[in-house]
Amino acid sequence: MKEFARWMVSIDRRIIFVLIALGTLLPLLHPFGLPIKVSPEVRGVYDYIENLPEGSVFFLSLDFDPSSKPELEPQAVALLRHAFRKHLRVIGMTHWLPGTGLADSIFARVAKEMGKQAEKDYVFLGWSPGTGSLVIAMGQDLYKAFPSDNAKHPTVGMPVLEGVRNLRDVNYLISLAAGNPGIEMWYVFGKDKYRFEMAGGSTGVMAPGLYPFLRSGQINGLIGGLQGAAEYETLIGQKGTAVAGMDAQSADHFVIITLVLLCNVFYFVLRGDKGRPA
Amino acid sequence: MIFFKRQLPLAITLIMGVVFALQYYIPHPVSEDAITHLSKWMQIISGFAMVLGLASLFQVHAMKIKRQVPGWGYSGILFFAMLATLAVGLFWSKGETTANGVQTAFGWIYSYTMVPLQATMFSILAFFIASAAYRAFRARSREAALLLTAAVVVMMGRVPLGQFLLPWTWDVTQWLLNVINSAVRRAILIGVSMGSVALSLKIILGYERSYLGGGKDQ
Amino acid sequence: MILVSLFLLLLIHGAAFAAPFPLTPPEGFRALDTPNDAGTSISLVWKASPGDSKDRKVQVWLAEKKANGSVGEFKKITELPSKSRYIKPGDFPWWDQPAAKGDHYVKIPSSQSFPIEDGKGYAAKLVIREGDQEVSSPVSEATPAPNWVNLAQINNLAFVVVFTGILLTSIGASRRNPHMYLRRIAGLDAVEEAIGRSTEMGRPILYLTGAGDMGDVSTIAATVILGEVAKKVARYDTTLKVPHRDPIVMAVCQEVVKEAYVEVGRPDAYREDSNFFITGDQFSYTAAVDGIMLREKPAANFFMGSYFAESLLLTETGASTGAIQIAGTDSDHQLPFFVTTCDYTLIGEELYAASAYLSREPVLVGTLRGQDIGKAIIMAALILGTTLATLGVLVQSDAVNYILDLFKDFK
Repeated sequence: MKEFARWMVSIDRRIIFVLIALGTLLPLLHPFGLPIKVSPEVRGVYDYIENLPEGSVFFLSLDFDPSSKPELEPQAVALLRHAFRKHLRVIGMTHWLPGTGLADSIFARVAKEMGKQAEKDYVFLGWSPGTGSLVIAMGQDLYKAFPSDNAKHPTVGMPVLEGVRNLRDVNYLISLAAGNPGIEMWYVFGKDKYRFEMAGGSTGVMAPGLYPFLRSGQINGLIGGLQGAAEYETLIGQKGTAVAGMDAQSADHFVIITLVLLCNVFYFVLRGDKGRPA
Repeated sequence: MIFFKRQLPLAITLIMGVVFALQYYIPHPVSEDAITHLSKWMQIISGFAMVLGLASLFQVHAMKIKRQVPGWGYSGILFFAMLATLAVGLFWSKGETTANGVQTAFGWIYSYTMVPLQATMFSILAFFIASAAYRAFRARSREAALLLTAAVVVMMGRVPLGQFLLPWTWDVTQWLLNVINSAVRRAILIGVSMGSVALSLKIILGYERSYLGGGKDQ
Repeated sequence: MILVSLFLLLLIHGAAFAAPFPLTPPEGFRALDTPNDAGTSISLVWKASPGDSKDRKVQVWLAEKKANGSVGEFKKITELPSKSRYIKPGDFPWWDQPAAKGDHYVKIPSSQSFPIEDGKGYAAKLVIREGDQEVSSPVSEATPAPNWVNLAQINNLAFVVVFTGILLTSIGASRRNPHMYLRRIAGLDAVEEAIGRSTEMGRPILYLTGAGDMGDVSTIAATVILGEVAKKVARYDTTLKVPHRDPIVMAVCQEVVKEAYVEVGRPDAYREDSNFFITGDQFSYTAAVDGIMLREKPAANFFMGSYFAESLLLTETGASTGAIQIAGTDSDHQLPFFVTTCDYTLIGEELYAASAYLSREPVLVGTLRGQDIGKAIIMAALILGTTLATLGVLVQSDAVNYILDLFKDFK
């Protein structure tokens, strides 16, 4: 038993990697589909969008690159489906240059699915340098900050931007961020100055760090990681990759919990034997 | 020469720093116009910074190839990949990832090399988290045991299977995130923010000069 | 008989209670230039009325004043329920309140349908409607003008000035007394141990300065600590490798390391290529550094500065090579990964304190002391504010707001 415990405590990492791989693959092949509980922070975002009148201006900033695609793309897709269903006017952009192509493809794909047209129902502005300076520039004059959209069409005169001069005319802004520039930057240079309502979506790792902003009302909702995306898909009644991924995430969490508990059992077995920590 | 390398940048930093710190408290349109102009300058400078980064990358790897240091082959691959992507993007696809709804060659490079490579690097984290947790989450002390318990409860409360098996873990997780976590994050945020404010004041007032480049003689 | 009398009495009194308040023009109505704005809005204030109810509506009408002094045609701007838009505690600071608490206050910004320009006069009136009855207020005039100072944020400016003063005083004090007390940071003892271990094993030391640029506090702290590490490395003649993500940080670190070698009298041992640039891309850099760790197997890894998702990829790879690892970061979202994979972790401001402790630079030590005083003030304000706010609720008094407003952020 002691030898086994000793072996288990210093187990080859590759065995752990194989267990995680199995924990991810098997539920994807054979999903078990459990109900998703919705948290108040995700409901806050959903309720706000649900109460926006038709034609309201919804600004979605996809501030992530392909490395965060698995967590943030489902959030973006669910939000866009909801916004298009509510017939909101959607403006999109990104502060992350490597994420421009990904963001463009997300907008195009969901718009096509929902029967929405570019320039009439939505516009993807693309990327421009400056982060905080860009937000200030958009806050003063959106057309000077983005004279053309990502497809090089002039923004002046676009039907979707009618009556929108700057960020003060935005009814709701959500930043889906994988780091910096992201939600904090949007708050400091955007909401604090131009007074629009905003919410955030982030990777699971970053979400706990955004709770102070949520609790103080600086953001009115927070969609955290794949779990947050799955909750939002449940709310809009259209399940997608997030809900599908939650089975794998459940299994992986349980693999890690089991391994950690086992490790502690073996640790205490060895510690009890020697009378000092292993 | 010292004037252009030291005194002039410090003077510009002081004037611009004070003016735009005060701008926050001035609602007059003159102040708003000033910040609009400045933000335009910042955008232009940010664009130049990208060129600087690219030039540095070229220079460093060109030297590696020239001197044939160990691993210079990888620098060659980097050059080839960079130049090929530039050429395809600029001349073939004219900077577009899609044209008339069809993916261009540039879009293909983005979707089938960059996206999978970045996603793969990020996905390694899942495996590393498991191995790190296995190695480090041991109840060596009371604090470590408390950390371990909280970690297990949150891991269960954040996934449907955990919420299904032990419904109370969801409520405890929500409480931990909204109360304990928020309090601790606020404390760290206040401390780090004070550090940022102090650094900004030191840069504006000229006490901190490391951004000018060089060592202590600055 | 008595019952009938009682019933009649109740009927009469009930009728009196049920009778609506008569429709009267709003009391104390006036238009004024909105305080603390760019001159593109006007504000309207009037006293609350006992007749305010959900059935009673208030319409806001505005007209432009012409150059000859006459008033143009009135235009309906908006309609609101009469029982809304009261000034509540916390809406305005006590030193810059446009009207008393409990009064009505409505800000009318410039819009496409009714543009408001600074310097131009406007006339305003209210029309109160209830059912088919309506009554108008007298007309009041106002001329919007841009303000040079946002008085509502004067407390914010005062705190900035006070904190600057504290900072400068602390720096001055530390220049006069360079041996100001600083608590010893536990992880710093491990630095000496790590360098000694590397020397014994004949393996290099890997030092990373993080993802930030020279504008980040953590990167500056990392470069200062690098200087101290470089001095020790120079004395023991160990190899130091510092891969970079930012060319400017690399240039600064090159100078820092060179000076460290010169300071301990070992300029001959300095190697130009100890600091080298890899790439700015997050995961490309991570892959390159992981490769260095696996090939060269450094005996000690230092992770100082700000990090993002790459932190665990770096530290777990380092742990697999058996290196001793010391981390220091203010990136709170990566702290769990550093704590679980590194032997020692400097958390948040311990990184800034470590750089001050090691270098004993008066500016760094003074800044740290100034920040500590600032935090002490914040803690005192938190305790005072919580106590006063609780007291205010218990004794049902708004007087506590005179102090609480000093710490609030008004726009």
